[in-house]
Amino acid sequence: MTALDEDRLAGAVGPRLGTRSGPRHLTGRGRYLGDHPVPDLCHVAIARSSTAHARIISIDTDEAAALPGVVAVVTGSDLEAMGARRFDHLLGPPFRPLTWPVLAIDRVRFVGEPFAAVVATSRAVAEDALEAITAEMEELPPVVGVDAALAPGAPLLYPEWGTNVFLSTENATPGLDQAMAGAPRRLTERFESHRVCGLPIEGHGAQATWDPGAGRLTVLASSQQPHQLRSVIAEICGLDETHVRVISPDIGGGFGNKQHFTREECLIGLLARLTNRPVRWSQDRTEALTASVHARAQIHDVEAGYDTNGRVLALKVRVLSDLGNPVLYFSGAGPAFVTVANLTGGYTIDHIGWSLTCVATTTCPIGAYRGFGQPEAHFTTERVMDLIASDLGLDPTEVRRINLLPDSPRPWRGHGGQRIDVGPLGSQLDLLLERFDYESWRREQAAARDEGRYIGVGVSTLVQGTTPTQNDTAGRFGSLEMAAVTVLPDGRVDVRVGTKSQGQSHDTTFAQVAAGALGIPPELVEVRDGDTDALAYGQGTWGSRSAVMGGGAIIKAAAAVRAKLARVASGLGHVLPSEGSVDLDVYHRVAEVAWWHAHLLPAGVEPGLTASAVYTPGFTGPSPAGGANHDETYGSHATAVAVEVDPATGTVRMLSAVLVSDCGVVINPTIVEGQHQGGFAQGLGIAFLEECKYNDDGQPLSATLLDYTIPTALDVATVQVVHRPTPSQTAGGFRGVGEASIIAAPAVLVSAVEDALRPLGVKLNSTRLHAASIRAAVRATGWKPDAAFWALRLRVPGEL
Amino acid sequence: MTTMSSVVEMVVNARPVRAEVQPRTTLLDFLRDELGLTGTHAGCEQGACGACNVLLDGRVVRACLVLTVAASGSEVTTVEHLGTPDLLHPVQEALWRHHGLQCGYCTPGIVMTAVDLLSRISAPSDAQVREALSGNLCRCTGYAGMVAAIVEAGRTRDEQAGVE
Ligand code: FES
Ligand code: FES
Repeated sequence: MTALDEDRLAGAVGPRLGTRSGPRHLTGRGRYLGDHPVPDLCHVAIARSSTAHARIISIDTDEAAALPGVVAVVTGSDLEAMGARRFDHLLGPPFRPLTWPVLAIDRVRFVGEPFAAVVATSRAVAEDALEAITAEMEELPPVVGVDAALAPGAPLLYPEWGTNVFLSTENATPGLDQAMAGAPRRLTERFESHRVCGLPIEGHGAQATWDPGAGRLTVLASSQQPHQLRSVIAEICGLDETHVRVISPDIGGGFGNKQHFTREECLIGLLARLTNRPVRWSQDRTEALTASVHARAQIHDVEAGYDTNGRVLALKVRVLSDLGNPVLYFSGAGPAFVTVANLTGGYTIDHIGWSLTCVATTTCPIGAYRGFGQPEAHFTTERVMDLIASDLGLDPTEVRRINLLPDSPRPWRGHGGQRIDVGPLGSQLDLLLERFDYESWRREQAAARDEGRYIGVGVSTLVQGTTPTQNDTAGRFGSLEMAAVTVLPDGRVDVRVGTKSQGQSHDTTFAQVAAGALGIPPELVEVRDGDTDALAYGQGTWGSRSAVMGGGAIIKAAAAVRAKLARVASGLGHVLPSEGSVDLDVYHRVAEVAWWHAHLLPAGVEPGLTASAVYTPGFTGPSPAGGANHDETYGSHATAVAVEVDPATGTVRMLSAVLVSDCGVVINPTIVEGQHQGGFAQGLGIAFLEECKYNDDGQPLSATLLDYTIPTALDVATVQVVHRPTPSQTAGGFRGVGEASIIAAPAVLVSAVEDALRPLGVKLNSTRLHAASIRAAVRATGWKPDAAFWALRLRVPGEL
Repeated sequence: MTTMSSVVEMVVNARPVRAEVQPRTTLLDFLRDELGLTGTHAGCEQGACGACNVLLDGRVVRACLVLTVAASGSEVTTVEHLGTPDLLHPVQEALWRHHGLQCGYCTPGIVMTAVDLLSRISAPSDAQVREALSGNLCRCTGYAGMVAAIVEAGRTRDEQAGVE
């Protein structure tokens, strides 16, 4: 690191503390959902549709119910007879109205949709019993893909809508059409972000116990948002919130897939109550791949007008979003709304217009996956930059530079009302090009081309909205965070927070945050999350929000505790400073006195050393010029990669990847780097390997990990992370970061692969860089590997 | 569908175990449900992810693909036998230091694979580690830290062996 960096980073980058939970997990002492045995535990298996679209005529569960070991078999109607309520997406027009039962009653609308459930004394027996359920179904025509959904006369998933369009809306800045018409140059393209699955290695699951005496339901769930899940379970099960406790134990990854308050989590609550036995459901891998949550699946029809310097004057995007069957507790249209709000990214595009059409299809619901609509937007924006560069013969970094937001004003108000508070973007790009050694990669590329090899360089300049705050109906899904901080008599600090770690090591980073706020060593702090009985409320972990929201709430509560520490100390004749480290002897003395020796407290000071706080930064809401800002703060991340592509086989080798990261104050650089490396691997998986595919009948073709392959250690290159923090105005100066590299990766990889194959004239308009997709794109140019090439390839290994 | 159970005997984590199991019970379910060794995780139950990796007679296997009856007479080692939170095994220690885990769900399987690798190759290269790990899926980390950790654990052990 250069001296300059040292200066810049001073105070904004915390220490690299090892993770608290590490030793527990390394020795197999983690406690995930399936690691909580209770006496008499029953297991649930779920009967799911094997056809994409059908009317349910009858479901016969008698034979299954008679099997030894089976405790109960239920259908959707059985659950409603016991009082189960229906889910409602709660969204008003322009959304179509939609409610759905816990288990499908009249119709199934995707392969994997649940319609019955078995409770049995073992999982094996429960699965056996599924085979004995007979469901008579009248098949209806499937609807697969956006085009099929919009085709005239298409079969309808919800005939009452009269269409498959769940939502259609649009927006444009005044003067868009004139700006487009007046632009010296124009491009029109269709880009696609293909359908994938987040796929945490631990599947989803829930386990519930009913206490009939107290009338109280306890649900363990592998959930990213335990408090909000509590609200939903209470609603669906007809209980009030005080009679539902949700515990999220250790979570084996979430990535948005464990964010949706699922039918299954409510089902497990209902079954515990119905059978009066503890019950558990652990999602299996096929359920995860076919019947949980898919993501992306957007097509963008793009028109861009620009001048001969490469400046974008007008951008029009028609977004077509395949929602699958939109039965998710906050609609799958959510990501698409985020997409249209982020189409200008970190660029000063003068005129923007978009339309959004979200359609229902007979496939797995589309919902949250790390990035949540931003990867689709970023892919389109970055493709536009690259195509402009290629059209004008400019360097793609120059086209970005001319379009990037200038360094002032800050915050920058975007057309949609975004309040973009990022650091300087031009110098961030400079630093990237220097660290990546852009010039030397361009020289390598030229030399390789002379040898008939295909090296490419890709660049992405991402401005990411982080820490979303919703208004109106969606406000319940995220607008604040809560924390409680207590200094105990022995000086240990109990921190409780409403976010929920799923591998982000909040036990470590939040201990650092609380310790910093109190002026004590982090070893004294213990962080707890994931239990609605331990903290009254919270909104969970998603949307790159935890550091800003959870950290902010901890700082606020800790500040109140620190003020009290100081008051008690001064009553005892000591001084505890309001900033920096405190004298630990004094601190310990104050902790004891505050709880145990009330008679020594100064007049007017109540005993105890505890505070809870609810925090929201307050930067969202309507902008002065119209529109609304939905993100409390923004991060900026500039990424460059170099790849070598084999046009004959379509395989890509990563040569280098560098990411300059601005997530505001860095609490723990090791953990931030881990988030970048992990997110990049997921983005790389999307591009190179993954796709949730269906055939025309709506049958999933990727139902096991053998068909849906995710990156292994052989596939992933190491990303070099350069920290360049610009503190934000939120408490603590943090910005969100967890989603940055998965947003950047598909865009930057497609950019690099297309750049590598530029001599062949290859065009890449989708996020698919699977070997077969690259081969197809290469073949489309008419290029073929020559015979001598194949002779070389086919030679027996070792013979060279 | 309920079938006659059979008796199995094996040594698990250096302790003799005798139990009645159904023929279809996998070693994964047996370890977790009967012996309470929940450090061995179910990631896919399809043989694809490696979260269930254990050592069977000293070699790494996928516990979800081994029937318990087939493991009768064998010696099984799970992650619980390798180190404790206070006294980590060198492989665990290196993984911790290199931030080779995030959610920890794949981690026991990674540890078992690494231990198996280091029992066969004393100081594996980056490429050899990646090859060995290619049967373990991790969705969180992107592998960088774990590869570095295992390479280092091998090298350190090698150096120590040289010193002795
Ligand atoms: S659970 Fe055995 S390989 Fe995945
Ligand atoms: S650490 Fe989460 S799957 Fe590997």
